[in-house]
Amino acid sequence: MSDREPEDRYDLSSRRKSFLGLTKESALKGLFGGNAFVSIVVLGLITFFLFKEGFGFFGQYREDLTIYRKSGLEYVELMREEQNALSALNRYLNSIRTLQSEQLTESGLEFSDVKAVLRKDEDFFYDFEDLAFPLREHILEASEVVATARDSYEEMLDLQEHRQNLINAGRQSEANSFEITEIDLGQMFELVKSKEGDFNAINRHLEEEIPALLERAPIYDDPDLNSRMNRFKELATLFLSEIPVYEERIVLWNREDAISIGESFTSFIFGKKWVTNSSIQNWYGIVPLFSGSLLVAMIAMFFAVPFGVGAAVYVNQVARPLEQNLIKPFIEFISAIPSVVIGFFGIAVFGTLIRNMSGWDSMEWVNFFPLSERLTGFTAGCLLALMAIPTIFTLAEDALNNVPIAFKEASMALGSTKLQTIIRIIVPTALSGIISAVLLGFGRVIGETMVVLLCAGNRIEIPQFTEGIGVFFEPVHTMTGIIAQELGEVVNGSLHYRALFVVGLTLFLISLLINYFAQKIVLKFQISRG
Amino acid sequence: MSLVADRVEPSTKMDVPESESQADERNRSLIKISNFDFFYGDKQALFDINMDIAEREVTAFIGPSGCGKSTLLRCINRMNDLIDIARIGRGNVQVNGVDVYDERVDATELRKRVGMVFQKSNPFPKSIYENVVYGLRIQGINRKSVLDDTVERCLKGAALWEEVSDRLDTSGLSLSGGQQQRLCIARALAVEPDILLMDEPCSALDPVATAKVEELINNLKNRYTIVIVTHNMQQAARVSDKTAFFYLGNLIEMNATVQIFMSPEKEQTEAYISGRFG
Amino acid sequence: METALLGTPTRAKSIERIVFWLFRLATYFVLLCAAAIFADIFYKGGKTVFQSAFPFVNVAFLTESPQTLHVFEHAGQKYELSDSAFRIFKEEQGVSIVSETYAYSGGGIWPCIVGTVLLVVGAMLIALTLGVLSAIFLSEYSRPGKTLNAVRLSILNLAGVPSIVFGIFGMGMFVLAFGWNVSLIAGWFTLAFMVLPIVISASEESMRAIPQGLRDASLALGATKWTSIRTNVLPYAMPGILTSSIIGVARVAGETAPIMFTAAYALRDQLPWQGLERWYDFFFQGVMALPYHIYVVSAKIPQNEYTSRMQYGTAFVFLFIVAGITLISILLRIRMRKKYRW
Repeated sequence: MSDREPEDRYDLSSRRKSFLGLTKESALKGLFGGNAFVSIVVLGLITFFLFKEGFGFFGQYREDLTIYRKSGLEYVELMREEQNALSALNRYLNSIRTLQSEQLTESGLEFSDVKAVLRKDEDFFYDFEDLAFPLREHILEASEVVATARDSYEEMLDLQEHRQNLINAGRQSEANSFEITEIDLGQMFELVKSKEGDFNAINRHLEEEIPALLERAPIYDDPDLNSRMNRFKELATLFLSEIPVYEERIVLWNREDAISIGESFTSFIFGKKWVTNSSIQNWYGIVPLFSGSLLVAMIAMFFAVPFGVGAAVYVNQVARPLEQNLIKPFIEFISAIPSVVIGFFGIAVFGTLIRNMSGWDSMEWVNFFPLSERLTGFTAGCLLALMAIPTIFTLAEDALNNVPIAFKEASMALGSTKLQTIIRIIVPTALSGIISAVLLGFGRVIGETMVVLLCAGNRIEIPQFTEGIGVFFEPVHTMTGIIAQELGEVVNGSLHYRALFVVGLTLFLISLLINYFAQKIVLKFQISRG
Repeated sequence: MSLVADRVEPSTKMDVPESESQADERNRSLIKISNFDFFYGDKQALFDINMDIAEREVTAFIGPSGCGKSTLLRCINRMNDLIDIARIGRGNVQVNGVDVYDERVDATELRKRVGMVFQKSNPFPKSIYENVVYGLRIQGINRKSVLDDTVERCLKGAALWEEVSDRLDTSGLSLSGGQQQRLCIARALAVEPDILLMDEPCSALDPVATAKVEELINNLKNRYTIVIVTHNMQQAARVSDKTAFFYLGNLIEMNATVQIFMSPEKEQTEAYISGRFG
Repeated sequence: METALLGTPTRAKSIERIVFWLFRLATYFVLLCAAAIFADIFYKGGKTVFQSAFPFVNVAFLTESPQTLHVFEHAGQKYELSDSAFRIFKEEQGVSIVSETYAYSGGGIWPCIVGTVLLVVGAMLIALTLGVLSAIFLSEYSRPGKTLNAVRLSILNLAGVPSIVFGIFGMGMFVLAFGWNVSLIAGWFTLAFMVLPIVISASEESMRAIPQGLRDASLALGATKWTSIRTNVLPYAMPGILTSSIIGVARVAGETAPIMFTAAYALRDQLPWQGLERWYDFFFQGVMALPYHIYVVSAKIPQNEYTSRMQYGTAFVFLFIVAGITLISILLRIRMRKKYRW
């Protein structure tokens, strides 16, 4: 087309080459659009995949819980609660004896003499221990029967599925080649149920023996020991009064009660136990993990908010320009420290440091010091605070920076000091920005994996919030930590695998929620500034 | 010659002007707008516009804000294509006899013939030199001698040469506001358009810079057809040959500038000019 | 009147001074904490990575594979040898030596460095291609409106999703559902999708920051849409895209959780280019990676003075790499801010 005549100035038709009806322009647009489409699809796919894998969990968990009930394991576990209560009593009793032996040793007696004193009333202790024996035997036996039945039942289900798969694949002869023994869970359960009388007989025995035994309780010279022994008697009496409750629960328990999908949902959301690889029953309750995550995040925010916001105010309002130019990149730089390095620092240095500090004489006034654990929620929380500070700092500093200078000038012109201006004008104006900064910092903390995996202690238990401040110094496990720790070992498609996906999904939803609110707040902020 | 060109050429090649005979025919119409309706989404922005814009004259569009004068200006070189909700209703816009909204017309080719200068000066963050030759470079013209000539010719044409000839390598952004706007004009001249559309080119300039640009417009009209949108009626009176008054998307009146300002035919025009509204 | 103006500080003034000092202390305390971490790792790690004799850098640590460390006494001398050196030593001496062994404490971290580099390069290639091209579409071609806003919002939201969630997704999707197993390619895609939202939103933002006037001017001169993007959008958006992608690199290199299940091996004898039967096996092999190696040596093996050297050395190298990348991006951004002001 280069030989076009110059007077064709008003031939405005396209001079671009086209190929298969596509010009370069539309091809490029297609390329960009295609990429955008792929990106969006991929990001949507993540959401879809999490939901898909996650939601399968609830149905599967329901089946699992149904087997738990049908096989009678639940029935046995109800009985076991009584046994646990009795064991707790025994532990309390033993703690009295340990205390007594410590006291005796401290008073300067020889080891043999201590033994002699202890031997005086050892019968009482041994007899009480023996009381628990029949109950434990009974439950152990019942538990073995039902657990074995459950295991073979599940094996049968697996085989049936396998056979069905073979049939579906058209390998009929192969499918017929192995035999499947039908397991009737009901029959096995009947066996256990038929011995309910034994259980009741054991209880009668306990009701008879315990009061008699309490009569023989030793009386000590030491008032502390005595008060403990009295407390033990109270507890024992309480236990006796609860025996009918246990029996009633067993009677009320019905094997035929169906488990709804809602129940499997609530037993995940409100479940207080996360137990895997148990021979009796695996539990997937998110409460211990969620509360652990929350606890660690709270500790982190406790430090990160004042330090992060304080530093932002300082740098934005108080610091000299040179200071600003140095501090800002440095704090940004902190966010570049990889979390695994911070976690490693926690294990190698910080955890030990905290434990050693808790042993200092000047720290004696704290009643739960010195700490026995190096890795606790507190260790992880402090390190996470350091990771949240850059996020909070950067965003809060931004928000402060966006406050129109005219506000500041107006306030200063009215004779207020810099601090008064900051407190009354600048921080309130930037408040929503600061709040969303804190929220996003919180999101960062709750989603952080390596630091909690390495430093939080990884004990799957609900933190004892009744302990007061001491709760912060317990080892905890977190939602992110559990995924990192257990995902490597699970079988594809198993209940455990799906449970971890639901935990991941929970994290996903939490982070979306936090982001959503952070944006909402910022948006509101913009409107209020007109 | 490709097949596409063969197919397209006969129909779009209509009314090719004969460059010799037109020189003395000053009032030949170059832009012809007929029965033109234009919409932003559901909202109609222009109503049944009919006008002829003559060659080598300065035509001013005046009217209160939102009257559609800029919209119409942007319809002439199809800059409204960039707005997704923009849509043509009835009618057409012809430049030199070619319907610019014909589907065979390539907007980029059109824009090479119809240059534009914007309200806010927008030099590229490149050197003055590169700003001017941008239009040539994107057409694949990279011969140094051609580019050098163009830069000198266009900067002289835009009355900027003497001020910047010793610092062509500095950034276009380093110039003052008025110089930037003249640089934008020079840049537009480089692609050798016949028509220059100016969208309030002086609204961001101080009086001295404005005077320079107006002087430039006066010089340019010997060679270019200029359409200028302005808020400033004195400016319209000073620079234009014809003036068109718009109100609420309608073309109220179009006539020789002297006529419009001395004895407007329509009452609305008079009210606007005498400052009673707008 | 005079005295009132010049007078002694008022109460408000002294409170102000105290409060400002508190703010100052808080700020510097944060800086101090971070500095303490840097100092600890650089000091203790430096002992492993550097040495007093020529060539001053512990070449073996940087170029060997992780090995078991043998500690033993022989002929009255104490030796600390990595497994391969120990075997040679035994053959030379021709005697059987009883040694104490420490897993992972000998040798070096070369395969980890290689693995990390491979992961970063592959993931960034995918993320940048997809991300920048998507951003061009979203910023330049797409129709503004509710759909676009929704897309932007969801991309922004995905940028805040915890990395472990991407890890579990990658594990379920690539490792299991696609059957790629623990492999480079599974790691690439997992990491790429993790940084994709960041790359898209940062690139789009830097493109949208370019004044519309430049695009208009270019179009009015007869440029096509693509030409005006190529000449007047991309060049000026490039520094922003570059900065965001360097931040992306730091993030990809620094994250552990997404690669734990998708790409990282605790120990692998062969380097990625060794022992490949077919060329595409390259993509389907797991690799060692620095962050995962730090996790393994600090959490999965017993702690003692010998492992501590390995831990700190690895942490040093890793921190050095990631901090270096971040430093570059910070400096680049400061420079860029000065360069373009519209």
